Amino acid sequence: MFNHAKKHAGSPGRCVCAVVLGLFWAAAAQAHSVADLQAVEKDLGSLGDRIERLQDLTEVEIVQNAYGYYVDKAQWRSLSDLFAEDATLEIGGKGVFLGRQRVFEYMSVGLGPIGPRDGLLIDHQQFQCLPTINEDGVSAEVRCIAFVMSSGGWGHNYYEDRFIKENGVWKFKKLHGPFNMYAGYKVGWLDNTILNTYPEKWPPWPDLPPTIIYLTYPNYYIEPFHYPNPVTGKAMPPPSPRAGGEAFGR
Amino acid sequence: MAFPSKAVSLALTVLLGLALCSSGFAKDDAARLAALKARVKAIAEEISYVESITKVQRLGRAFGYYTDKGFFGEAADLFTDDGTFQWGVDGVYKGKARIRELLTRHGGGSLTDGPGLPFGRLNLRMQLQPMVTVAADGNSAHARWREWGLLGQYKKEALWGDAVIEDDYVKESGVWKIAARRYYQNFEAPYQGGWAALKPVTGNWQTAVAKEFPPDAPAPKQYQPFPTVFVPPYHYGDGTLRAIQSRPPADAPKRADDALGKLEALADAKELQLARTHSVRALENLQAMYGYYIDKGQWKKAAALFSRNGTYEFGQSGVYIGNAHVERALSLMGPPGLVEGQLNNYVMVQPIIHVSADNRTAKARWRSDVQLARDGKGRWGGGVYENEYVNDKGTWKFSKLHYYVTFWGDYEQGWAAKPIAMDPPSTAIPPDQPPTLVYQSFPKLQVVPYHYANPVTNKPNAGE
Repeated sequence: MFNHAKKHAGSPGRCVCAVVLGLFWAAAAQAHSVADLQAVEKDLGSLGDRIERLQDLTEVEIVQNAYGYYVDKAQWRSLSDLFAEDATLEIGGKGVFLGRQRVFEYMSVGLGPIGPRDGLLIDHQQFQCLPTINEDGVSAEVRCIAFVMSSGGWGHNYYEDRFIKENGVWKFKKLHGPFNMYAGYKVGWLDNTILNTYPEKWPPWPDLPPTIIYLTYPNYYIEPFHYPNPVTGKAMPPPSPRAGGEAFGR
Repeated sequence: MAFPSKAVSLALTVLLGLALCSSGFAKDDAARLAALKARVKAIAEEISYVESITKVQRLGRAFGYYTDKGFFGEAADLFTDDGTFQWGVDGVYKGKARIRELLTRHGGGSLTDGPGLPFGRLNLRMQLQPMVTVAADGNSAHARWREWGLLGQYKKEALWGDAVIEDDYVKESGVWKIAARRYYQNFEAPYQGGWAALKPVTGNWQTAVAKEFPPDAPAPKQYQPFPTVFVPPYHYGDGTLRAIQSRPPADAPKRADDALGKLEALADAKELQLARTHSVRALENLQAMYGYYIDKGQWKKAAALFSRNGTYEFGQSGVYIGNAHVERALSLMGPPGLVEGQLNNYVMVQPIIHVSADNRTAKARWRSDVQLARDGKGRWGGGVYENEYVNDKGTWKFSKLHYYVTFWGDYEQGWAAKPIAMDPPSTAIPPDQPPTLVYQSFPKLQVVPYHYANPVTNKPNAGE
């Protein structure tokens, strides 16, 4: 349409016409642009939100994975700094610890002093993280595996954790680590399996009792999935006691 | 008529000038606007592409969590209605109902009731190291995965599982699904003795499940599992792959100080932000590719993933510089293609990836568990990578790979009872430079320096 206006800018007789048309087209184009610009700005805004969700997936996973590397070397202060002030922690069967300072105590009193100790391997590997950023953009969940290779042998646990975004920074809001299986090295999980922990097993004592009582392998327990089936969108069905699956949440 | 002709002429000239100027400017604006709209469209497409990678990753991981605990119907529901599952050399099973039964039989679940697993059944199948390629049209994808299994029946058997998975995916009505899964089982090895004690398989090695529950079609590919070295076909070739690419580095253009210019600058910022998060996925793919090549002794392919002056450092073996030297360094692990009975599994997990603000470079921490065998001896290993990468005209490459050994341990006795020291620099293929950091592996412990500050406090890691 702009070529059209230009084409008329020839003879003096058509000049006035061209001026009028030109002004008209310019004004029309100008009006068109304003609406267009607003539309583009809106599009970029919503695309920006989607880009941020993609970044959130990475950032949440970084916090979860950083946690694992800190456990490796018993860096409990750095580890507890990954938690929100009012975060909670519940690992195995030891009950619930309330607040960042208690997270630090769970680790530093329960598991040993700060820093690696020669001869003691506690590699706490984070595998298969499945993060979900919620619609609100400031809360998230992660299901993850902790695969433990330690001086004592093997461990396989899940994490079903909740995160919050405070001032643009993702942090643990709730760390929940149900155990699947712990076993010694010599014969592995053939029969050398280790019981779940319990509140009085070692200090420190929890602030609240466990939210769920369950047994580890060779027994069955399934920690509920925080997400529906990615294809069907259906919520997780309950396990069937007849199939050996214990009902959860009792 | 007493037209002040000069004035009229001047006025007309001014008006014409304004009109031309205005229409000329509008023309320029229109072109800029069209270009901007095209960029917005391209950004939307690139977002969908990156989202698709994350959705495919999610499918594979969800599958693992379902099979772990006997949710075999849920796992089968991740497939298309006519989805297929090829189990090793057993054959191909078609449709959700058949896949559900296949998984139930292999996992030891109930054929009549579910979900769940009976007392004493262990079916932990960890789904790791995805290398995801989304097709250009955004409607189909492929991925390679590693499955690491902890399997068994209490007081009866404990097994290690090892398999590579090659998947096809399709997007149906906006939902990503598994269309075809090829499950290339490498071994199920008894815990006692481990994989190093496995004997070569002769004849038909179909599983007991295939005999009771015959497949719908034979496997298109027959192969021998470990200790034979078999390379499951890759869905990707050599050379430049979209899966390891993102936006090439570019200087931020100068934009006009008008309304359109502000939006152009905003689009620039969004493109860069998107490119950086896209790069994270490309880097995951790159590290996964590297791992799969190392698994099979494909040193040349692995070395080609380095930049021209890229460096490679493993344990206390010193630093090798450039593709040719990297390839020679990798060959210290064995001959190209490995030898019969050699296992060289390097599991790539637990990434912490940071892409630079300008999308030109990146750093990442990874963990690797290592499962080795040679000459009938098995070995465990564990360690941490602190790697650096460079965006080479849009393709990500290793500029520095550095693996810090945490431990090596004898399989029979374990790392605690029988740790193994790191090798010194090779005299046969000497490094270009000595080790950048001298340390000892387990029972000594070394904190591998972090490339990042604490992700929450942003304070440097003080080691406490």
